Amino acid sequence: MKHYLLVRIKTSKKTNLLLKLNKLNVDIKNIIYEPNYLKFQILSSDLKKIKKYLVSFEVEIIDETGIYKLKEELKKNNLIITGIIFAVIIFLILSNIIVKINIIHEDSHLRELISSSLAEAGVTRLSFKKSYDEYEKIIANIKEEYKDKIEWLEIDVEGMVINIRVEERIINEYDKSSNTCHIVAGKSGIIKSITTKRGVAEVSINDYVSKGDILINGNIKLNDEVKTSICASGTVYAEVWYQVNATIPLTEEKVKDTGKMRYNFLIKKGSVETVILKSRVGEEKRVENKFLFSFFGFEVYLQKEYEVEIEKITYNEEEATKKGIALIHEKLELKLDNFESIIEEKVLQKELKNNNIYIDMFLAVREQIGIKEYFDDSRSDTSDEDDNEYTNRIN
Amino acid sequence: MRILKNLQNFLYDQDYFIDIFNDCLHVYYYIDLLNLSDKSIELKLKEFILIISGQDLVVSKMDKHEILIKGIINNMEFKR
Repeated sequence: MKHYLLVRIKTSKKTNLLLKLNKLNVDIKNIIYEPNYLKFQILSSDLKKIKKYLVSFEVEIIDETGIYKLKEELKKNNLIITGIIFAVIIFLILSNIIVKINIIHEDSHLRELISSSLAEAGVTRLSFKKSYDEYEKIIANIKEEYKDKIEWLEIDVEGMVINIRVEERIINEYDKSSNTCHIVAGKSGIIKSITTKRGVAEVSINDYVSKGDILINGNIKLNDEVKTSICASGTVYAEVWYQVNATIPLTEEKVKDTGKMRYNFLIKKGSVETVILKSRVGEEKRVENKFLFSFFGFEVYLQKEYEVEIEKITYNEEEATKKGIALIHEKLELKLDNFESIIEEKVLQKELKNNNIYIDMFLAVREQIGIKEYFDDSRSDTSDEDDNEYTNRIN
Repeated sequence: MRILKNLQNFLYDQDYFIDIFNDCLHVYYYIDLLNLSDKSIELKLKEFILIISGQDLVVSKMDKHEILIKGIINNMEFKR
């Protein structure tokens, strides 16, 4: 590669100098005419020639060009550049080191088991982080090793901290000898449908039942004599009643994003939070924090600040009532399955007080009320509710 | 770099070249620079002497075979 130098020669007769340079066969480029000076680029090899034959001229090297200039700059700033490279390397090393392993489970024995398995797999404190695939393999191995103890395991890498979430496997071993049960009413109501899979139905449609009444009997009788006992199963839907109330404010504040978002940094030490940069969105904002890394107990987060505007909405009495009813529906329907539904509803009382509207409502709901109740020889009164398969043990 | 030179030789397979563009005059394969001032430049080529006259004439680039002249060119004379 040709090494060009940017030089400056003091002369008042520029044309004469150029003619002389031409006679010396000097390659010159980027010639700039300045008062009393001629500035141009020459090959470094030609500089000796100029100094030798044009002794009367004063040649001044101003700068290097191209890659040589870069080299020169690097040489000048080598300390800073070395420092930056060193800092980047240190940062990369530190950000890839595990400083803390959190095994999130209350059972210390299980924590120790997982901790030792992780240590065997090379996941220890102050070791380098592994790739996602390697963690997946480690999870699979641990689950295989302790398949009777671990239901689910997850490794979550958050900066320099590794969180391991574990779900313990609980194996229910029921005593088969006491596996006899009735289906009883979990709530009072009027029977709307009954489907018996095992056992004898004790009630008919439109019968009123109280809580605890036997709906499907687990005792199979012949001439009032119990021949055998089984665990009854089936589904019983009944009309049950609820009285619910709700309070709806007539004015409501709705928070809406304006679309403006700015980044910031947050440093957290215990419960003390410090924001690094001055907020560049308005007073009204919502923030999202993303964990970056932890350093000597300081947790560093990338903070996203979203500018929001608060809209004040005022409802009239009718709108607030509708909203209240919708809210009650929504909450109740969360509890109901596909075969359950609201049959009837009525607003019992409506009252406006302190800028709030109070609604008292009656609801008739078609709901599954049958729950299993285990028994040995004599029937016990204890029962437990569950969604479909009801497992409750009575001694 | 030799490849570039060979390519150049192949493309510029002539005794000389004179290009004029945007107040610039580019002469390729000149033999000698005879005279140089801001009003007139004389170049010796193989078959003639090229006399360029104008205003504010400056040499922007120059090597053994090539010269780039900038300025207002008013007249070019071929003296044989």
